[in-house]
Amino acid sequence: MSKKQPTTLAFRFTPADSAAGEDSNPHAKASTDVEATLEALASHFSDAVEEVIAYAGERTVRVDRARIIDVLTFLKKEQGYTYLADLGGIDRFTEDDRYEIMYNLVNMDQGKRIRVVIRVDEDSMTVPSATAVYKAANWNEREVWDMFGIRFEGHNDLRRMFMPDDFDYHPLRKEFPLLGVPGSLPLPPQTPSGGLTLDPFARAHGSIPPKSFDEPAGEDD
Amino acid sequence: MASDSSLSEGFLTTRVDAVVNWARSNSLMPLPMGLSCCAIEMMAFAAPKYDVARFGSEAMRFSPRQADLMIVAGWVSYKMAHTIRRVWDQMADPKWCIAMGACASTGGMHRCYGVVQGCDNFLPVDVYISGCPPRPESLIHALMDIQEKVRNEYSVAQDGHFGNEMPAAAAARPKVLSSVGADAINPDGLYHQQ
Repeated sequence: MSKKQPTTLAFRFTPADSAAGEDSNPHAKASTDVEATLEALASHFSDAVEEVIAYAGERTVRVDRARIIDVLTFLKKEQGYTYLADLGGIDRFTEDDRYEIMYNLVNMDQGKRIRVVIRVDEDSMTVPSATAVYKAANWNEREVWDMFGIRFEGHNDLRRMFMPDDFDYHPLRKEFPLLGVPGSLPLPPQTPSGGLTLDPFARAHGSIPPKSFDEPAGEDD
Repeated sequence: MASDSSLSEGFLTTRVDAVVNWARSNSLMPLPMGLSCCAIEMMAFAAPKYDVARFGSEAMRFSPRQADLMIVAGWVSYKMAHTIRRVWDQMADPKWCIAMGACASTGGMHRCYGVVQGCDNFLPVDVYISGCPPRPESLIHALMDIQEKVRNEYSVAQDGHFGNEMPAAAAARPKVLSSVGADAINPDGLYHQQ
């Protein structure tokens, strides 16, 4: 009677140990195989496509920041990527081209996903807004502005998404301390006579805040 | 058995405090300040299985004017803190506050720039509950502690008499969790008559 040996659990994907490599992701879905779209992009935007990054069986297209609206419009109109699943910022904390903005697009008919990124340098923190192409980019771009301080040209309601309007910092930048800057966020007064702070009924007290539902006109309007 | 005549004749003496505190402690109306996942346990606390109606607190009041117990259930962001304080200020005295769970008590795992590290930074908290999230029994226990506190308060003669602060009253609820015998805990047998 041999003693039962413990079985080794099959962890097939351990990103903490080593990079997965270009195509070595066993969990990669067929939906991320977008060769046709990549070829179409390469032929239409040979000057704008800067790099096609292959990682873990997925492809990421890095394009010229100035041409991002053209690329998004092409992907939406010609390639059927009608759904903007996500838009977000990344702080790479590098000397050049420090920030990155990524657009996750979905083609609902063919079940395909593509990721497009642009890079933003600290010297010019302005990128064109995608709200004219995808209405869904509205709040995501406000979040990127709130968290990273990247302005979106053409966005008509670029207020902070989460932090108070008078907050001085952009918290998702790498240099921002985890516990925040002491004194930068006020606490409410400790007594009922302490006065009005962060008025939730600003309109009732005479202030006219900008509407959040003044969205840019899309193709249906 | 009481005789029939005792229902129609005679009288009973007590303190106004005792009557008022009895009424208040058994009809606490919570304002559910449900901010995150603790609110789910707070719903279970009010729902039939745990049934806080046994303690007279089943009437959740979403209007601060009709509530006298605020249950801060969840993590408090700096933006939300101003609203919570405003709601608290709108509640009529006397009022009590429970900080439910690790986040409301200390910030919990949210040790970051946007979360107030404990709602006692801007609220007078009476009872803290540990847990992430606490079970409904914990919240019921906190409610019973609040009831204990209410029963031992001077509700009418708040300022004492003749300018002297009055000493604390004896506990109205016997401590049942004790190593001594039941007779020593409850010598008069007021609560468990057979």
